[in-house]
Amino acid sequence: MTTTERPDLTWLNDVTMTELERNPYQAYERLRAEAPLAYVPVLGSYVASTAEVCREVATSPDFEAVITPAGGRTFGHPAIIGVNGDIHADLRSMVEPALQPVEVDRWIEDLVRPIARRYLERFENDGRAELVAQYCEPVSVRSLGDLLGLQDVDSDKLREWFAKLSRSFTNAAVDENGEFANPEGFAEGDQAKAEIRAIVDPLIDRWIEHPDDSAISHWLHDGMPPGQTRDREYIYPTIYVYLLGAMQEPGHGMASTLVGLFSRPEQLEEVVDDPALIPRAISEGLRWTSPIWSATARISTKPVTIAGVDLPEGTPVMLSYGSANHDTGQYEAPSTYDLHRPPLPHLAFGAGNHACAGIYFANHVMRIALEELFEAIPNLERDTREGVEFWGWGFRGPTSLHVTWEV
Amino acid sequence: MTFAVSVGGRRVECAAGQTLLDACLRAGVWMPNSCNQGTCGTCKLTVLSGEVDHGASPLDTLTVEERGAGLALACQARPLGDVTVGGGAEGRTTHPLRDLSATVLEVADIARDTRRVLLGLAEPLAFEAGQYVELVVPGSGARRQYSLANTADEDKVLELHVRRVPGGVATDGWLFAGLAAGDTVSATGPLGDFHLPPETEDDGGPMVLIGGGTGLAPLVGIARTALRRQPGRQVLLYHGVRGAADLYDLERLGELAEEHRGFEFVPVLSEEPDPAYRGGFPTDAFVEDVGSARGWSGWLCGPPPMVEAGVKAFKRRRMAPRHIHREKFTPADALG
Repeated sequence: MTTTERPDLTWLNDVTMTELERNPYQAYERLRAEAPLAYVPVLGSYVASTAEVCREVATSPDFEAVITPAGGRTFGHPAIIGVNGDIHADLRSMVEPALQPVEVDRWIEDLVRPIARRYLERFENDGRAELVAQYCEPVSVRSLGDLLGLQDVDSDKLREWFAKLSRSFTNAAVDENGEFANPEGFAEGDQAKAEIRAIVDPLIDRWIEHPDDSAISHWLHDGMPPGQTRDREYIYPTIYVYLLGAMQEPGHGMASTLVGLFSRPEQLEEVVDDPALIPRAISEGLRWTSPIWSATARISTKPVTIAGVDLPEGTPVMLSYGSANHDTGQYEAPSTYDLHRPPLPHLAFGAGNHACAGIYFANHVMRIALEELFEAIPNLERDTREGVEFWGWGFRGPTSLHVTWEV
Repeated sequence: MTFAVSVGGRRVECAAGQTLLDACLRAGVWMPNSCNQGTCGTCKLTVLSGEVDHGASPLDTLTVEERGAGLALACQARPLGDVTVGGGAEGRTTHPLRDLSATVLEVADIARDTRRVLLGLAEPLAFEAGQYVELVVPGSGARRQYSLANTADEDKVLELHVRRVPGGVATDGWLFAGLAAGDTVSATGPLGDFHLPPETEDDGGPMVLIGGGTGLAPLVGIARTALRRQPGRQVLLYHGVRGAADLYDLERLGELAEEHRGFEFVPVLSEEPDPAYRGGFPTDAFVEDVGSARGWSGWLCGPPPMVEAGVKAFKRRRMAPRHIHREKFTPADALG
C-alpha cells in the first residue's frame, strides 16, 4: 500500500457562492497550489484551476463537452457549448460561416464603427460617463444584435436579457444532496427566455418564409435541403448561448481592459497614443480578468487520472479559465495588468474543439470600440471618486466604470 | 556582394552591410521610419524568410522575444543572405533616398547661436515638406540630422536651421566654425515621416504646429505647404524659445499671416520675458488659446520634453491621437 500525502481540503467545505462571485481569486489561488483538480462541494463538481490541467482536460480525447447543471437548466438542450459528435459538428457548421476571419473582415468595420460613434455622440461632450452601461455593453450588444438580425430589439433589452440569463446560468450552488440550493434563482432566466421567445418566434416565422442575410436566418437555412429549415427548438439553446455570452463578454472584455489600463496610467497613455497597441492591451485585459471565468465544463468518457486524481467515467470537470490565466507557473505577478508582459497564449477563449467560435469577431468588436473611444476622448481619466467593483464567478467583469475628461 | 530583399511583391538589392531600410528607401520602396537609430521602433518588420544581423538594435526597442518571433528593426538589420520581409511596406512609393553632394550657398546668423545654412544641389531633390537630411561632418565621420524648412517645390536650394551646441562636433567644430559659401557638403536624404498626408487625403482641417528652437524649420515648410493647398485653412504656428534674441523669421512669418487670414504665428518666450511677446511655454499657450481641437491635426518638433508636453496638451483639447505628428529623432541640438 502506498500513501500519498494529500493536502487537507476541508476548507473547501466553507467556500460559498457569494464569496466566489465577489472574488474567486483567493480560493482558486489556494486550489492551484494545493489541488489543481479538486472537488468543490458548493459547486457539486470537480474543478480544474491551473493552466496545465485546464488545457489537458479541454483537449483530452478522454473528455467531451458537457454543460454545467445550472447552464443546462438555463439553456436547455442542445446548446452548442454542451453537445458533442454530429450535433456539435452541425451547430458549429451553422454558426461558423459568419465568424470566419475573411467573412468578418468584409463587414466588421462598417458594422461596429458607426455603432461605437453613435453611442459616443451621446456623451462625448458631457465630461463624465459610466462606461459599462453607456458604452461597453451597448456597443457589444448592438453589434451582435444587428449581426443576428435583432435590429428591432433595443440595446437596453438585450442588456437586460444577458444579465438575467447570466445570473441564471451561474446559479450553480448545490446543497449536500446535489440539488440546486437556490432554485428560485432560475426564475429571472425563465422570464427572459419567455420574452425572447415572444420576440424572436415571429422573426423566425418571417425568416423561414423570407430568408435574409442575418445570422439567425442563415442558421435556419444553411446546409438544409431545399424547402426545409432547422427546427427552432433545435437552435434556441444556441440562440441563448449567444444572447448570454456573446452579448455580454465583449463588453466585459472592453471594461476590464480599460480598468487594467487605468491601473497603469503610463500604459494607458501608450495605447491612446498608438492605437496599434489596442489588440495587445485587450489580450492582456482578457488574461487579467477573463470574462468567461468559469462557465464551461467537460465530462470524462472513460476512467482517467488527472493531476493525480482518479476520476471514474462520467465525471464532470469545470474549467476555470479565469484561474488558469492567473497561474504563477505561466505568468509573473498575474494579478497585475501589464501590457508589456511576454505575450504568452492565454485561455480566455478556451481550448480544444469547443474553443470560442467568436474569437475573431469579439476581438474586433472590442478593438474598434476602444479605437473610437480613445479617438473621441484621448484625455479619458478614471473618476477616482467612484470605486471599481468586479463581480462574477462564471462570468466576470467590472460592474461599473466611472470616467471623467476635460471638455 | 549583394542580397535580394523581397518586400510587398518587390525585390530590392541590398549590399552586405547595408540596412534593410536604407536599401528599400533607396529603391523607392516606402516603409515606416522615423529615428533611423533604432530607438523609436517605427520601422519594425517581420523577417519571413532568411537571416538578418540585428546590428545595434537596442533590446529596449527590439526585445529578445521579438527577435525570437522574427521581428527586426529595418533601420538596423543587415541581411546575411536573401530575405523576405513583411509587415512594413504597404506598397506605397516614396521619394528615393539619395546621396547628395551640395554646395554651401549662404551661411547667415539669424538669431542667438542660430544659423541658416542654404545648400545648393546640382540635381533637384524630391522630398515632402517636413522631411530631413543627414549631413556628414567632415573629418569626423559623424552624421547629423537637420530638417528642411523648404516646400517640396524648393528642390534645388535646401534651407537648414542650425543651433549651436557649445563644444559640439558638428556645430562648434564645423557649421559655426569654418563653414563658408562655396564649401562642399556630403549628405543623404530625404528621410523621415514627418510630413503632411498626400493632397488627396488632406481634409484641409485646422492645424496647430509647435516648434521649439530650430524645431521651427520643418514647421515652416509644412505650414506653407498646407496654406498653399488650402489658402483659407486655420493654421496656428507656435514658436517656443527662451528669449526674444532666439526668435527669427518674424518678418517672413508675418508676411505669411498677412497673406492668409487663417494663419497665425505666435512666438512664446519661456525664460526672458519681453512685453512684446507671450510668456511661458508654447504648449500652455495653445491650451489657453484653443478650447477644442477636435478635428484638428497637430505637429510637434523640438526637444523631447516639449514634444511630450505637446502631445498631452493636444489630447487635453481632445485632438485624436492619430492626428498628432511628432518629429521623433533626437534633435541635433542634443548631439552638437
